[in-house]
Amino acid sequence: MGYTLDFGAILSGEHLRWLISGLRLTLELTLSSWVLALVLGVILVLLRSSGIKPAEWFVTAYVEVHQNVPLLVQVLFWYFAVPELLPEAGRIWLNERNSEFLLVMLALSFCFAAYMSEALRSGMRAIPQTQHEAGRALGFGYLRTMQYVVIPQAARLAIPPLINYSLLLFKNTSLAMAIGVHELTTQTRQIENDTFRTFEAFTVSTVLYLMISFVIMAGGALLERRIKREGR
Amino acid sequence: MIFFESVDKFYGSHRCLTRITAHVAKGEVVVICGPSGSGKTTLIRTVNGLEPIRSGRIVVNGQDVHAPKADINRLRREIGFVFQQFNLFPHMTVLDNVSLAPRKLRGLPREQAEEEARALLARVGLAEKANVYPGQLSGGQSQRVAIARALAMSPPVILFDEPTSALDPEMVGEVLAVMRDLAGSGITMVCVTHEMGFAREVADRVWFMDSGVILEDASPEEFFVAPRHPRARRFLADLRHA
Repeated sequence: MGYTLDFGAILSGEHLRWLISGLRLTLELTLSSWVLALVLGVILVLLRSSGIKPAEWFVTAYVEVHQNVPLLVQVLFWYFAVPELLPEAGRIWLNERNSEFLLVMLALSFCFAAYMSEALRSGMRAIPQTQHEAGRALGFGYLRTMQYVVIPQAARLAIPPLINYSLLLFKNTSLAMAIGVHELTTQTRQIENDTFRTFEAFTVSTVLYLMISFVIMAGGALLERRIKREGR
Repeated sequence: MIFFESVDKFYGSHRCLTRITAHVAKGEVVVICGPSGSGKTTLIRTVNGLEPIRSGRIVVNGQDVHAPKADINRLRREIGFVFQQFNLFPHMTVLDNVSLAPRKLRGLPREQAEEEARALLARVGLAEKANVYPGQLSGGQSQRVAIARALAMSPPVILFDEPTSALDPEMVGEVLAVMRDLAGSGITMVCVTHEMGFAREVADRVWFMDSGVILEDASPEEFFVAPRHPRARRFLADLRHA
């Protein structure tokens, strides 16, 4: 065997620090995009079921665009094209800050909002109209009926697909590499360039990605089990 | 308490309520009966605005329910509604089902709302089911919880839409017992039902509907002993032979 494995070069000193900072950025990106995607997803699904025709068309178009354009293209669009649309002051504001992180976070959030809204919508469609009626008959308005009656039930049904999309979102944070965000994949490449330990570098990042995926899946399974125990 | 003034309703071109004019006094118990498709359920659903109307007026507690400016959500708090299929919220405990509206709409603190809810559950004989989810209840128990939920906002009016039609026969009695108890409490009650025994015993008045028209508005004695309209006579005869 002409090649001796040496993980020590990667898991020590400066390289370990790169790895850890990359991992941290990946997690931050995942979490912030996830929260924003979920909030946007809820807004989209409310708009879509609002009965206001133009709002419904908008959401349909929104979902189609975001589900059918490669995510990498969306990331590049946000990074290169969107700032062009901003007024001067906005561009300066972006350039003074960590705009790569912010823009890729927005790209991921806007894209996964589309997926999450679809997951929530299929959950909502499974809730009978009579549940909505029961809320309204008590004197709750449309939004509060949604809040207390329909969405909590729909969310339970939407949890399995939402977990899948969360996982997908996590994995796709690696696309941030394309615009130079120093997340885990970028850092892995950097370590590889620095050490020429290609196999070791990518093995370590593979294991890290897998571990976090497992944590997300296990969390999801736990959540599902807890919900099944209650009611229905 | 409830006034119908020349109420018309259409489904497409089908006229399902025709110039309904009627009145329910405060504290009165009115039973609406009639063959299926006669408009009973539609009529009762117009009272709290679950069904829109084409023309006419429905005034509940002095307020026009279908007026364009009516605050329907506020009006509905004053009108309890019990559905044929119970429609309990399956993701909440029985206690939460009953205390939700008082907490969120009347702004009661949780402890107080739950105390009131427990009292209502005791009244319908289900105090021990407070922490159970609706999925674990029988049909009769579910409907009793639904009645407690409808009473939680202390409405002066309560509407029942065939409350026993979805129940197994042996569970009808327990629900009717709760309704009987309620009828004696002074609340205004309008009830669509096929339970003629209940109508006879509890109702102050019986409305007989057919084809979207109230054909007969009579006391139970008059209605059951000597119905005036031939269609009502036929309906009662059919019930007896059933």
